[in-house]
Amino acid sequence: MPVPTAEHAKLRNGAAGRVRNASSPRGVRWFRELGWRYVVAALAVAFALMPAYFVVLASFSPTATLQGSQLLPREVTTANYTRLFQVTPYWTWLGNSLKIAGGAAAVNMLLSAMAAYAFSRLRFTGRRVGLLAILLMQMFPQLLANVAIFLFLVNVRTYFPTIGFGTQLGLFLVYLGGALGTNTWLMKGFFDTVPTDLDESARVDGATHGQIFVRIILPLSAPILVVAGLLSFIFLFNEFILASILLGQEDGNQTLATGLYRFIDQNYGQQWGPFAAGALIGSLPTLLLFLFGQRWIVSGLTTGSVKG
Amino acid sequence: MSRNADAGRGTNTPRPAGRPGGPGAATPFADRLAARLGSNSVTGLFAKLVFLGVVNGLGLYAVSTLLPARAWTPLVMVIVATLAIDAVYLSKRALPLKFMVPGTVALLVFQVYPVLYTAYIGFTNYGTGNVLTQEQAVGRIIAGATRVPEDATRFRSRPLVDDADGSLALLLTDPDGDVFLGTGDGLEPLAEGDVVGEGNDTVVAGRFRPMTLSEASQREAEVLAFAVPITDDAAAELEEGAAADAISVQTFTSAAVAVAALEHDPASGVITDTATGQVYEPVEGTYTAADGTTLRPGYRDVVGFGNYERVLTSPAIRGPFFRVFVWTFAFAILSMLTTFVMGLALAMALNDPRIKGRRLTRSLLIVPYALPSFMTALIWRGLLNQSFGPINRMFDWSVPWLSSQAFAGALPKFSILLVNLWLGFGYMFLINTGALQAIPADLTEAARVDGASGWQAFRNITLPLLLVAVGPLLIASFAFNFNNFNVVYLLTGGGPPIGGTPTPAGHTDILISYSYRLAFESGRGQDFGLAAAVSTIIFFLVAVFSYLGFKRTAVLEEIN
Repeated sequence: MPVPTAEHAKLRNGAAGRVRNASSPRGVRWFRELGWRYVVAALAVAFALMPAYFVVLASFSPTATLQGSQLLPREVTTANYTRLFQVTPYWTWLGNSLKIAGGAAAVNMLLSAMAAYAFSRLRFTGRRVGLLAILLMQMFPQLLANVAIFLFLVNVRTYFPTIGFGTQLGLFLVYLGGALGTNTWLMKGFFDTVPTDLDESARVDGATHGQIFVRIILPLSAPILVVAGLLSFIFLFNEFILASILLGQEDGNQTLATGLYRFIDQNYGQQWGPFAAGALIGSLPTLLLFLFGQRWIVSGLTTGSVKG
Repeated sequence: MSRNADAGRGTNTPRPAGRPGGPGAATPFADRLAARLGSNSVTGLFAKLVFLGVVNGLGLYAVSTLLPARAWTPLVMVIVATLAIDAVYLSKRALPLKFMVPGTVALLVFQVYPVLYTAYIGFTNYGTGNVLTQEQAVGRIIAGATRVPEDATRFRSRPLVDDADGSLALLLTDPDGDVFLGTGDGLEPLAEGDVVGEGNDTVVAGRFRPMTLSEASQREAEVLAFAVPITDDAAAELEEGAAADAISVQTFTSAAVAVAALEHDPASGVITDTATGQVYEPVEGTYTAADGTTLRPGYRDVVGFGNYERVLTSPAIRGPFFRVFVWTFAFAILSMLTTFVMGLALAMALNDPRIKGRRLTRSLLIVPYALPSFMTALIWRGLLNQSFGPINRMFDWSVPWLSSQAFAGALPKFSILLVNLWLGFGYMFLINTGALQAIPADLTEAARVDGASGWQAFRNITLPLLLVAVGPLLIASFAFNFNNFNVVYLLTGGGPPIGGTPTPAGHTDILISYSYRLAFESGRGQDFGLAAAVSTIIFFLVAVFSYLGFKRTAVLEEIN
């Protein structure tokens, strides 16, 4: 938090402050070395938070339409929230998103941790090829194969309606297909740093590989598991294309991404207020995850996976 | 660690360290069994048995469903997969596989197979009008061309639709009051629980719902031409003669048993009109007569490089495709550059230990990146709305941010880049801050002492060192934006549309959104074949770039 110093206050007084700065050599020097950095920071923060400002404002404003939206708050009501919960199954969407993204992220984490254990600790034929193959597959994101996945699940539905097209379970399983990928590499790299002496002594004491994995490697790798899990969750929470293709038309079946999109798509002018309310609530899960896991996530992001 | 290894064991028997489950009269049965199955703890054994029980149970269930349906290919795949999993987990060897199998199965079924299937679909004419297999298409053609005898059985009927693929069906009630579901594949009797709900909320056999009046009138011709093929067995059950070939729609609320006016000869593969003798031969997915008349529906057929040819040579497709192609690259490169430059500039400006509140600033700058991108894209769409978006209102403008057609949609393109800059600069700021802090300050200071200007020091020392660290991330950012579907699709929907094209293509469409719209925006008919061909082209482009990227960053070296 920039502590307001005398110079800083002058700076915030805008043009007047600058004039006075110009007349004082010390102020000029301060501004040229340090002060302008605060200006840049303030501008950048304003740019970053500007849309959030409008959303918060719109969500608490008494009008639901974009037409009547204000730049400054005149009256604060929760009418848009009430309306959102009346006209959409909002909590169902949010629940679906949390369930599908959370479940798939957890299982993805386990599957990639298992594979990473094999790649890190065991030596076998095909290890090198396997690692390469995973890297190669990762270059073809699933969303590119959306046509094939759609047709596949439509066919699956003929025989197994519970996991075919139009089911959340089907989408969940499709999401598992992306489990072995960047996360496997990320975890293998981390497992490699866990000393092998630990598992060797455990093996001497009669532990199986399964026990070593569950009781030694996993607890010692908690940080990377958290990072990988969070990144998967955020990615899947955001996933739009497969969800929109595979979940079908039924309103209660949607995730937050597809539900809110269908809600607002044709009604920008009319439903802006309720949408803003929904956007605000729906942003909280990933925002909170980010704020709490910031340090871990940042290190995870800079080790390879990228959002945009 | 010995306590760890023994915890969870069902026995307190002390055992010598060494080979697990070794011979010994005192070893309890459970331990010996566990050892035999390659596991040395009872908990592990239990988990393994439960897992295998579930896998085999599901396998058996799948077989019991697929066998009566005569779905041979999936049947074989299910059996092979189940046996393979059993073999891996019951074997004392195959240790690496025990850890890899679950992830690998998911990878094979939901990623490798779809990629191969995509490549295959790219060689077919799969799409609206050519959705069925050849066998199904013949059944529907025969069933569709019928006449109704005087004494035919008549049904009360109700047109149904399947939201998944828009296919039609009939809910049929015969004079005895028995209820049937008639699909394009045939007739099935319905049981008590197959029809759930009432009115327009009715769901039949878990798939179909009644068409609304407006849907039925929109697809009137299709509904009235719909017919349900009936096999000889089904005809016998309905107490019809073997001459009955189909139940065809008469009005929106009635249907009747009819006989065929066309005949399919399995030996020669042609369809003949029994009245006129006109012969229709199968040509690239459509039964076509010598005079060019065709029978509907068509079927999906391999058309070789037809789709690729269309992309590259058909002027109406090539023009928009080329534009989309160029814009995809421009979008990915400019997104990467703008976020990088702004992130770096900010990082350099704020990378001064004397600045107070750097942690808070960092937290605030990462907010756009932390918000779900589907949400922020939709929010920006509202903010940039031409008539009443807050941005225009704030300055009393009327700028068509997202819809201007001028200069090939230059303004919407700019808006997309701006939104993507907003989304991504926080991330670039973070990684550049990290990378800057890793560069020793004395290097630049030494350069300054030697007389280099600030810009020279940055250009020749800081930037090259920085690029070594963030280079791979820039490549990843390029690759990510190359397929950044959410921002493009949710912000502009690919629009504004490029005029005069037969396929849906917009000025801001990138390849992935273009392919999605080809396949799923049914306004002008779905073209799965063309969409898959475009996807395959993207595959190759991404592969080439990733290869070049990896070669540069030498990631492949790490494998050993």
